[in-house]
Amino acid sequence: MALALVGTPARAQDGVPPLPRVALDTFPPAARDAIAVAQRDATAKSTDAGAVGAFARVLQAWEQWDAAHEAYARAQALAPRAFEWRYLDAVVLQRLARPADAAAQLSQALAISPDYLPARVKLAEAWLDAGEAERSAGSFAAVSDPAAQPAAAFGLGRIAAAGGRHEEAVKQFERAVELFPEFGAAYYGLAQSYRALGRRDDARRALEQHARYGARWPAVEDPVLASVTTLRDDAGAILQRGIKLAESGDVEGAITAHETALVRDPSLAQAHANLISLYGRARNWPKADEHYRAAVAAGVDVASAQYDYGVVLGLQERWSEAAEAYRKALAVNPLHAGAHNNLGQTLERARDFTAAAAEYRRAVESEPTLRIARFNLGRMLIALGRNEDAIVELRKLIEPRDAEAPRYLFALSTAHLRAGHRDEAVKWATDAKDLALQFGQAELAAAIERDLASIR
Amino acid sequence: MSLRVFPVVLACALLILPPEGGSHKFPESNPWLPPSGGRSAASPLFVESAAATGLDFTHVNGATGQYYMAEQMGAGVALFDYDNDGDLDVFLVQGGPFDAGARRTTGPTCKLFRNDLTDGPNGKRTLHFTDVTERAGLALRTYGMGAAVGDYNNDGYLDLLVTSFGAITLYRNNGNGTFTDVTSAAGLSDPLWSTSAAFVDYDRDGHLDLFVANYLDFSPASNKVCHDAVGARDYCSPRAYRPVPARLFHNDGNGRFTDVTEPSGIARAFGAGLGVATGDYDGDGWPDVYVANDATPNQLWINHHDGTFVDEGLLSGAAVNAAGNPEGSMGIASGDFNRDGSEDLFVTNIIGETFALYVNDGHGNFEDARTKAGLAAPTAAFTGFGTDWFDFDNDGWLDLFVANGAVNIIDAQRGQPAPFRMKNLLFRNVGGRFQDASAEGGPAFARAEIGRGAAFGDIDNDGDVDVVVTNNGGPVRLLLNQAPRSNHWLALKLEQPEKNRFASGAWVGVERTGEPTLWRRVRTDGSYLSASDVRLHFGLGDSPTVTAVVVQWPDGTRERWTSIKSDTVVTLKRGTGNAGAGG
Repeated sequence: MALALVGTPARAQDGVPPLPRVALDTFPPAARDAIAVAQRDATAKSTDAGAVGAFARVLQAWEQWDAAHEAYARAQALAPRAFEWRYLDAVVLQRLARPADAAAQLSQALAISPDYLPARVKLAEAWLDAGEAERSAGSFAAVSDPAAQPAAAFGLGRIAAAGGRHEEAVKQFERAVELFPEFGAAYYGLAQSYRALGRRDDARRALEQHARYGARWPAVEDPVLASVTTLRDDAGAILQRGIKLAESGDVEGAITAHETALVRDPSLAQAHANLISLYGRARNWPKADEHYRAAVAAGVDVASAQYDYGVVLGLQERWSEAAEAYRKALAVNPLHAGAHNNLGQTLERARDFTAAAAEYRRAVESEPTLRIARFNLGRMLIALGRNEDAIVELRKLIEPRDAEAPRYLFALSTAHLRAGHRDEAVKWATDAKDLALQFGQAELAAAIERDLASIR
Repeated sequence: MSLRVFPVVLACALLILPPEGGSHKFPESNPWLPPSGGRSAASPLFVESAAATGLDFTHVNGATGQYYMAEQMGAGVALFDYDNDGDLDVFLVQGGPFDAGARRTTGPTCKLFRNDLTDGPNGKRTLHFTDVTERAGLALRTYGMGAAVGDYNNDGYLDLLVTSFGAITLYRNNGNGTFTDVTSAAGLSDPLWSTSAAFVDYDRDGHLDLFVANYLDFSPASNKVCHDAVGARDYCSPRAYRPVPARLFHNDGNGRFTDVTEPSGIARAFGAGLGVATGDYDGDGWPDVYVANDATPNQLWINHHDGTFVDEGLLSGAAVNAAGNPEGSMGIASGDFNRDGSEDLFVTNIIGETFALYVNDGHGNFEDARTKAGLAAPTAAFTGFGTDWFDFDNDGWLDLFVANGAVNIIDAQRGQPAPFRMKNLLFRNVGGRFQDASAEGGPAFARAEIGRGAAFGDIDNDGDVDVVVTNNGGPVRLLLNQAPRSNHWLALKLEQPEKNRFASGAWVGVERTGEPTLWRRVRTDGSYLSASDVRLHFGLGDSPTVTAVVVQWPDGTRERWTSIKSDTVVTLKRGTGNAGAGG
């Protein structure tokens, strides 16, 4: 296949923008081949809006934002009444952080297809991002479809908050999280408005929910945009889909995607690395082993590969081999807190408490917020009779008071008891039990109660 | 603490007073200025003058084709008057071959350039820099990242901290033009990938403590292979690695520091730290610390007055964007841009995110006003690093400079060497809203490079603020300010007698009739990997009259001076004003 150094643009004619110039020779083969096919077709049928728009979609799929925008501009000029190109161009413009331009495109797109819900939501969001609060509020208020109500409530909350109307904002944000309880952004907005109203405790609780749900957003089905996102079937795109499947808990689907990606591109070392833990989660030890060897041979992300393999070996209770894998991970990355923690656990199983405590401490030094490692350090210090040191460490786990906290507080109680601080021990055990009950941890609460009974 | 009151002391230390001792006049001519010495309507606001003034330095990023993360991040610059001769010298941080480890014995070094600014007859002056690195003992060969400046031992000479991949190095200024590496003797150690740092007297004991931001747990051995959207090899996102915690070192006052990271609470939250700025964000008189993190929420460490800090970033509204998502934050400008008496934060982010403007209500509650202030749209296409508020036109409103450069391949530059080049940005503050003035900046703003560090100060002592910009894998740039000279100005240097000699952390207000008080904080931190002039610069607009200057010293006491003349540098010595004065 002969490719020009730079794709030849169609000439601008009668105000119709030219096709974008794309330096295909600088692209890797998968992208070059995929884009070249669409580009050839668009060049051959340069006045065919469908061919030009299809080229634009391919560019968008490969995240060539500026080129995609140029191609969409030509497609729109050739077919001014086509909704699809205007809408997708608006999506590209939003990605380019040009919200005012995106809003203009969306307005025109909606003049063609007024009922396309994702476009209506995006228009309201674009106005908001462009600082046009009044227009945005009007657009959000006009969205009545239940699927878009969480996003509309969130948008109206942001507008109210920006205008200093925090009581109103709270109502909108509360409605957003009621409609979509995993709406991380709405919890953040809620926290800001609570704070503005002086409700700092409520704000902190909302921030805990924000931390829990992060970027989760209520999706509105968008078949037009899906026509772009499903265009790519190269190894890299399939790998990304596999990673998303893994994150969503679909282990089998993730394995299939990763294996497919490797068929497309056997040199995709990251796929081997990811498959170690995926096959580990599926308890397919031989396959995990196979991909571990492939990842190490490729020499890519070796610390993660060794760590994941250590976990796989641990799942098989092959503790000494797991310890060896963690040591190899640490030889590559001495700051790998997870490897230090897990190595500590293997040493603890071997009853080498001093060495285990040292590894847990290294884990905490590398990652002070790795609470499980600090908890393990505290336990080991208790086991070593260093109860005062254990108290120092375990006291750092008092906050936050989440579902993990009851066992940390229980450990703190134990350290106090062993140190002879009976009252403190009772206090923290009681606190641990109450918190355990609050989080539905009946078994732990019962165990704490038994200890409390013996202390009293 | 009772303070003796002395008469006002004016500008006696600095060599910029004209012979007659009155208001400083602008020089008639300069070798890097048009012959008229002024600026025509079409002439640029800034003239790039590094080579012409002997500032000869090129950063070496050591890129090997392995796409090691550290290659793209450096390096910084410090502007400080190391020899106390009244002009700003330049320290430039060097990278080098990345594989060589923490310390090398050969290859390029950091550089110190002494400013040999000379006053000639009729006010004519010449700016020239001399490389004094070897003589000063600053030929450091680490894979350097940034620089911080402060007088940690209270001897009246500014000391220097250099952050690096795998080490920090503290240089004590010996006061005789030389420096001594006292890292070990001072008890300092940070083997992580340190980036920006700040000297800050967080416990107000008169000894500057040290905050060091650290970035990621990246190492060459743990290098990952990452690709861009089209599948080409590219630098990884910071999400490919784990963030590592910052460190806080307490200055024990005896030449040694103690690592208080854990007891201070600083270890309780951390992200991929790149920028550090200090200020009193909640208005309680105690210094707080703001950290810009890459792809993780920024932190606002609020000082609890007992040696501990609590991160209130998320609650304050200055940690993430309006959707609650962290951004790729790099550089910080901290200052009162809207003249309401509280310190606001401008944070540079990665391309596509827009740069953030967090407006402070005076109590540490921030509103994300990037769109309202006109900063969102013009910054969307840039990846920003070094930045600061500075009043380039002396109109009394703090403007903005941003050094830009990508960290991932720019599609339009694909296939070219170093395809990460971007233009720098200049914003003019017009009553609290910003206008893109880059086009007026001149050719220096038309050139696309891989901008990283930026330090600010009046390098040629001509009454306006200049900028030194570093480029990753490229030459340093000296942007000399040539803005029209119709406005008046005042520069202040603060002195305390024994402790915290440069009054780092002091909050200084310039009062003018019929105008809001202009507030600035004495600090050298902020920006990205860089340290700026410890002196304060106030643009006064078209009126030269200053009603009074109010200083809130770092320990909270206030002092007030009247009869301050403008268009000159004034040294305010503690105890020479009216103690306890309000303002």
